[in-house]
Amino acid sequence: MERVLSALVIHDIKNALALLEIDLEQLNHHADIPPEGRHAYHRCIELKNRLVSFLTLYKHEQSGLQPVAVEVSLAEFVEDLVGNSSSAMMSESHHGHPITVRAATERMSPEGGFAQFDENLLELALESAINNAVRYAHHTVEVWFEQSGDKVVFRVADDGVGVGLVDERMQRKTADTSASTGLGLALCKAVADAHGSGAVSLENVQGGGTLFSMTLCNAS
Amino acid sequence: MSAQGLNVLLGGKPPEMEYVQFHKLSALVIDDISSMRHAIRAQLQSIGMNQVSVATNADEALEKIKTSNFDLILCDYNLNKVSSGQHFLEYLRTEKLLDATSIFVMLTAEAEYSFVANAVEFAPDDYLLKPCSENKLRSRLVRLIDRRAFLMPALLALNERKFEQVIAICDKLLTLSPDERRRMDVLKRKAEAQFVLGQYAEVLETYAQAAATRSDVPWVALGAARAHFELKKYAEVADRAAILIEKHPNYVAAYELLANARLEMDEEEAAYELLQRSSDILPSAKRFRSVAQSAYLLGKLEEAKSNAEAAIRLSNGSMVERSGDYLSLSQAQVDMGDHAAAIQTLEKNARKYGEEGIYGVAKCAILAQAYVASGDKERGSKLMARAVSLMGARKNSFVMTVMGKAALKVGDVALGLKLLTQSVQFSGKSEKRIARHVRKSMLDTGHQDKVEDVIDGGRKRILLLVEEATRLMRSAHFSEAHEKLLSALDIHSENLEALLSAAQLHLLWLKQGGLDAEVLARTKLYLSTLDRLLPSNQKVMNFYRYFNEIVGA
Repeated sequence: MERVLSALVIHDIKNALALLEIDLEQLNHHADIPPEGRHAYHRCIELKNRLVSFLTLYKHEQSGLQPVAVEVSLAEFVEDLVGNSSSAMMSESHHGHPITVRAATERMSPEGGFAQFDENLLELALESAINNAVRYAHHTVEVWFEQSGDKVVFRVADDGVGVGLVDERMQRKTADTSASTGLGLALCKAVADAHGSGAVSLENVQGGGTLFSMTLCNAS
Repeated sequence: MSAQGLNVLLGGKPPEMEYVQFHKLSALVIDDISSMRHAIRAQLQSIGMNQVSVATNADEALEKIKTSNFDLILCDYNLNKVSSGQHFLEYLRTEKLLDATSIFVMLTAEAEYSFVANAVEFAPDDYLLKPCSENKLRSRLVRLIDRRAFLMPALLALNERKFEQVIAICDKLLTLSPDERRRMDVLKRKAEAQFVLGQYAEVLETYAQAAATRSDVPWVALGAARAHFELKKYAEVADRAAILIEKHPNYVAAYELLANARLEMDEEEAAYELLQRSSDILPSAKRFRSVAQSAYLLGKLEEAKSNAEAAIRLSNGSMVERSGDYLSLSQAQVDMGDHAAAIQTLEKNARKYGEEGIYGVAKCAILAQAYVASGDKERGSKLMARAVSLMGARKNSFVMTVMGKAALKVGDVALGLKLLTQSVQFSGKSEKRIARHVRKSMLDTGHQDKVEDVIDGGRKRILLLVEEATRLMRSAHFSEAHEKLLSALDIHSENLEALLSAAQLHLLWLKQGGLDAEVLARTKLYLSTLDRLLPSNQKVMNFYRYFNEIVGA
């Protein structure tokens, strides 16, 4: 009974937060919105994303995620992911200058161009990967997919400090950065797990930057 | 290849898509939570839509949909406890209230998403997790509207139910080498139009093209299986549906198609189990209703009763409620010997339905059974007479079955057998179901010896009479021949053999016996009945030509 109640309360809070986000989003359309308004909007998005990530991970540990696989156009998916990315929108508030987040169309290797997966779970996972990349990028984050046979790999690359410092930056106990990074990676692993045989990796790229990869097998 | 070119090839967003003219589009938002409703409306307005209506429930939405066409309908899945967005969509589609050009998007919360997605025959155009950001909403809508724009000429023709034209437009669209998704959209509409026109072989070809475009798409497999069903290849349907269910264990529509195939294969028990599974996966009044009917035919009265009760509970007070559920429930109660409960169901719980139409007839017939069972034979007979008078000249197979059973129970065997025979004659597409009902009614009332005679709809007796009439006609005994045919038509007023023979007899009669006014009038009547039942039939046309020659027209 207690569990049912807490589940209800937490989902209620999540919905309220999402509605608050929409209120703030609409408020931000006004030309004369003060900087505090924008800041509140971004804080709200971050809070909601963190709560949703946490709830998804919690569900993964308690009862396992049950992905609803639907047919998805990979190019459309990546394009929308990038176009609607809240991390991309908020990048300026971390750096003082905007980070360009782009769908690297030229790097996409389609084979059919469609795959079966839970687009909502994937969006959640990849958005957290983009969020991570945006925090450590200097100028640009690129997102693309590679498809061959049954396998689809989603990649997120940044031009930041590189993987050597990733562990260190994950250890850092400052503010909410480490918490959200740890949460993000765990979430990506959970989502990959839920899709059968999946894998997540973070590696150094020659010439600087990190490359995040998430592989889904049997996604055809 | 340029990035742009590749992008288009991948089915990605071509640049002109940014120019969707949102201000020209209308939308309806259906959600019972006011903050959600208003948030979504604000987002749509911010995207540029000026004509945004809202509704708090399905009934309110229905009123708005009936009076105006919306380009976009955003409907919450979890409308309220009695009707979900899915029920609402099923209702709109089966009642053909939704414009072909309307885009229907189901809004869901995570918890329910897995239950809903792609499990049903009437799938929405898209699912959207709510609430979502304005950007996400916009990009989804842009894609949906872009897909619709490509299909628009075909959708407009669909709206006007010009199916030949739909097919022609689809073929033209296919020559434009659309990307994969658009090609699938077009093939889907083409197959639907061919299906309505009864071109099932062509339907199969279209689905084969779709399967070649993209493999393992559930609606393609289901559509092909459905075409096989119409072609009466039930074993084939069963194989295909079973594979589909194995791959997609929540695909309710596949269970329902398989259940129908099992019914046609006379496997009522298997059908019952399938219907039960589909109502377990996605409970709805409609599904409980089907389970109740199947359970009743199998003599599972407890299950028939509880499923009819579930159907009533789920639909009570909503637009999907059906008076027939009370008939199913009360008939099960009568059969279980609980006549008091049956009387309570019909006279108290279903009071609001009165005695309207077919329902009133069936209600009186079931009440007649209940009162006879309770020992009030007089009241039973009165109710039976009331049922007969309410029935009038209606030819409804289902009601005739209920009435036939009631007549047998009340003790009017002649009327009972006649009604049951007629119910078989007019059963049309539900022939097997009705035959099962009739057989059950006759066994329940101890008339097993006449089952075969009734189940064939009096066909054997009619053919014998037609044969005798033909013999009499050849020896110019026209009146006597006519007597025989009248007896045949008394068994089944629309029996084609008897009607054709009667027309032939009368033409001969006119030719050899002169233009008697009565014979002339009857000839015209038989010819027009035949013309109605067999439009543009060669034989009937020849009869007309012959008739004109005789009367010298």
